Amino acid sequence: MTERDRAVRILVGTRKGAYVVTGDPKRQRWKVGPVAHGGKDVFQVAADPRHPGELYAAVNSDFWGPSVQKSRDWGKRWREVATPLTPLAKDRKNPFEEDPAHPSPRPLRNLWRFEPGLPEEPEVLYLGADPHLLFRSRDRGASWEPIDAINKHPDHEKWSPGAGGACLHTILVDPRDPQRLYVGMSAVGTFRSEDGGLHWSPKNRGVETPFLPERFPETGQCVHHVVADAADPDTFYRQDHGGMYVSHDRMDRWVRIGKPLGDDFGFCVASAPTAPGRAFFVRLDGEARTTGEGHFQVHEWNDRKRTWRKLLSPKEFPGHFGVHREGIATDALETPGIYVGTTTGQLFVSPDTGESWQLVPYGFPGIHSVQVASPTAG
Amino acid sequence: MLDVHLDRWLRDFGPRGHESVEADSVEHLLDALEARYPRLRFRIRDETGQIRRYVRVFVDGEDVSATTGVTTPLTGARTIDILHSVAGG
Repeated sequence: MTERDRAVRILVGTRKGAYVVTGDPKRQRWKVGPVAHGGKDVFQVAADPRHPGELYAAVNSDFWGPSVQKSRDWGKRWREVATPLTPLAKDRKNPFEEDPAHPSPRPLRNLWRFEPGLPEEPEVLYLGADPHLLFRSRDRGASWEPIDAINKHPDHEKWSPGAGGACLHTILVDPRDPQRLYVGMSAVGTFRSEDGGLHWSPKNRGVETPFLPERFPETGQCVHHVVADAADPDTFYRQDHGGMYVSHDRMDRWVRIGKPLGDDFGFCVASAPTAPGRAFFVRLDGEARTTGEGHFQVHEWNDRKRTWRKLLSPKEFPGHFGVHREGIATDALETPGIYVGTTTGQLFVSPDTGESWQLVPYGFPGIHSVQVASPTAG
Repeated sequence: MLDVHLDRWLRDFGPRGHESVEADSVEHLLDALEARYPRLRFRIRDETGQIRRYVRVFVDGEDVSATTGVTTPLTGARTIDILHSVAGG
């Protein structure tokens, strides 16, 4: 493997564009650029690990609407590919044109999340969007099919948005079975499908809704983000509006784990391929929506010992930092790195799973999302 | 023939500066522009056919975006400005 192939790339989506930040394998030196989509809200920049170099960006504009942008060269050049429901005219027909007398009452608002399919289905991608929409591409983003069991769900009109909108922001594919899918939507909750998206069941049992009259409804939870455990695909870690949770049974039942932290509000959670049984949360003050106690902090949940560990001391990075739902990521190196982007444009890096931290010396616009493309361990 | 002035931000989707278009309504004007520049589709209007929230269409200097919108007749009109609204930060 060449030195270039061993580069660690942090993919940063911000309020004003997309940034690729490239580092050495030791994760000590960082180079910022290329930069693209200036002035536009980039909710996510996703790498497709099955096709090294291919990136997808969820580019949103209050002025001109959303667009799917794709790069084949690690972000140097981008081009618009078919955005769902808004295809390039030469490519596809707008589904709503089938009945022009009844156009959609819900225009596509924002794109939120790309999720590549499994290695054995290398052309498949998923895309989540607002308002509560899920799409699948079978041709690496050249066209998208709506998953109607979500998009035309009988309760769709009743589903409420969260503060970030009616976003479908979490998509997970069971690594053992591409037919088993999970989604998370604000403020609806998590759902599971066992048949590739034809049918979905709500999976929110045990998750509290402090903002609704009913304490444990079937749906209505404002899930903020969910990740799967690196070694156990039946285990999930969840940051919800109502706290931090774990499930060990494919989301059939959730158990709150955050109470020992006091306030267990937050938006983001990450796991790492080389850190099974561990999850990383950025705990926020539930009212201020910034890091509590006046300093940057990350907490590690050890699911085997069922213990919490605070990864930073209060003296290291004082301040009140906001972190969005996609604001934390990990790499796949033997000692996994942790990366956190803040709403005020700081990018924190820990090359040793939280033992030490550094700031990338660059002022980014407010950061929506952080993802990492890295070589895998071994 | 209408003299259409397009926002320079729209250059990413094809049109640059000025266009001459013949149309009897804002809807037909936008149809004509989108036929000329397919990538412009859904940028000025969303997929419901309505003008996007932060886009302004002026007919002879009058903002029709939030009033008659796409149904605005253009009989006798001479100039159209399609601009992004003053918003954002």
